[in-house]
Amino acid sequence: MSIRVYLVDDHRLFLAGVRAELSEEFSIVGSGYDVDTAIEEIRGLNPDVVLVDVHMPDGGGIAVVEGVVGNNPDVKFLALSVSDQAEDVIAMIRAGARGYVTKTIEPADLADAVRRVTAGDAVFSPRLAGFVLDAFAGVMPSEVDPELDQLTAREKDVLRLIARGFAYKQVARKLSISIKTVETHVSSVLRKLQLSNRHELARWASKRRIV
Amino acid sequence: MSLIEVGATGREDFKVNQRRRLDFRRRHSDRVVAGVAGGLADTLGVSDAFVRAGFVTLSMVWGLGVLLYLGLWLMELDRVEDIEIDPVAPHQALGLALGFGGLMLLLGVGGWWPSNALVLTVGALAFGTAALTDRNMPGPLAALVDPTVDRPGRLRMLIGVGLLIGGLAVLSANVGPIYEIGPVLLAVALTGVGILVAFGPWVTRLARDLGTERRERIRQEERAEMAAHLHDSVLQTLALIQRSDDPARMSMLARHQESELRDWLYGNLPLDGVDLLSTALKDAARRIEADHQVPIDVVVVGDHPLDESTRALLGAASEAMVNSAKHSGAERVSLYFEADDDELVVYVTDQGKGFDAGAVADDRQGITRSITARVHRAGGEAAIDSVPGEGTEVLLRMPVTAT
Repeated sequence: MSIRVYLVDDHRLFLAGVRAELSEEFSIVGSGYDVDTAIEEIRGLNPDVVLVDVHMPDGGGIAVVEGVVGNNPDVKFLALSVSDQAEDVIAMIRAGARGYVTKTIEPADLADAVRRVTAGDAVFSPRLAGFVLDAFAGVMPSEVDPELDQLTAREKDVLRLIARGFAYKQVARKLSISIKTVETHVSSVLRKLQLSNRHELARWASKRRIV
Repeated sequence: MSLIEVGATGREDFKVNQRRRLDFRRRHSDRVVAGVAGGLADTLGVSDAFVRAGFVTLSMVWGLGVLLYLGLWLMELDRVEDIEIDPVAPHQALGLALGFGGLMLLLGVGGWWPSNALVLTVGALAFGTAALTDRNMPGPLAALVDPTVDRPGRLRMLIGVGLLIGGLAVLSANVGPIYEIGPVLLAVALTGVGILVAFGPWVTRLARDLGTERRERIRQEERAEMAAHLHDSVLQTLALIQRSDDPARMSMLARHQESELRDWLYGNLPLDGVDLLSTALKDAARRIEADHQVPIDVVVVGDHPLDESTRALLGAASEAMVNSAKHSGAERVSLYFEADDDELVVYVTDQGKGFDAGAVADDRQGITRSITARVHRAGGEAAIDSVPGEGTEVLLRMPVTAT
């Protein structure tokens, strides 16, 4: 049975394009142009994956994720955006999205990302990897939970390679580890991003401009 | 009345109506309250700051300034526009001045002139301020020491300061104890209340009119700014895309435009005028992307100001990007920049055809050499790693020098 995908984007033209690209391989069960409709329909349809735009009127992608997560815990979210705004993207991930890709992504890569998210893995685009490295940069006074507040050296290596544009497979080869291990590292980074109380995460955007 | 059209900018056709002398309109732009004083200044051919000072001073004569202002406002209630007027000729100005002086004398003779001290003081203060704040003048202190300020400017400033000091002197010498101003201010206040009672409805209408007008004006200015920007960027690009029949070029144009528009919308501008290496790298990537029609993905972690040694890094990174875009045949190029406390690191990665470092064409070797030499001179390191069939990666490192 093919993976059931729901699309949320207020740009109909873009939505139509994604639908055309994905409909061969996946079954597109529906699409919503606004936050409220999307939440209602996703709750009813219970799709496997929701592709959701970060920037939308009435609360944006975060509102959709938050509106669904409690009701349908099995639905997985993949954030999709043209935005460069790290705060918004990080906020989406912290709300529960399992990955972030930019809208300029190649169709084949997007399909791959949907498959990966369905399987429970995290999907990091180069840009998201950069955002995360930035968010966890610097030494942290480890008063809270050092394990959650720092990335390991290996996790940083993986993120840097992703940020440099390498696919998981190439990352694995470069570090002489298996793809499964790469996926484990990325999932662990995702978990840290979602659970860490590192206040830097909120503050980092203003910090990164000051050298 | 002649109508001259100026279309020099091509963006909007500004119509400038050349009016005959002694015509009067409330100004639309560059005004403080309703554009009356500004309009009058245009008509009289004097600086608007002085006209405003005149109104303030006359307000001390039983509110005459306010009355005049409201009167002129009512006269031109529906006529607000920016026009270019020939200022009155000198003999006309003299006539107006004499007439006005006569009116003032008449008030004096009739016994309606208030305390000289008050009018003179406020007048001196108002005109002094006007002289000091006149648009074409730099700040007072700067003017005193700045040799480039022309002599009339300096003279005007000295007069302004003199008037201010004089005004204060007159106030303290003639009025004596401060409570003596009381009755005069009371009289002004009473007159004001009287005007409010008599002309209340009109005044509220004027106030409402002013509020709507101001909002409308702000909205129009914002629209004009946005229109100008969109015209220069998005509309131009859309036009180019329509004319192009090469899909690669179209998507490149769209991509370029997208990142430029985003920068404009979200204001990715350097802080405090400091040029940042990240911004410079993004700009370089965008330029190379447009020149060579290959998308460049830029990921930036941390930042560093653009200085002598980081400029070398920027130059080397740009060369590496051009190199990849031109020769690798890859569909996209990645630029990764990371700054931490000790070191700046740049990776330029492509997954193109790569090359054998031992057997490269001379011109290409020249480029790789120049990248390396450039970074070395600035105290950094460069490593070029290429595998035929898999791609090329250029690594540039630069230690952060303590500043």
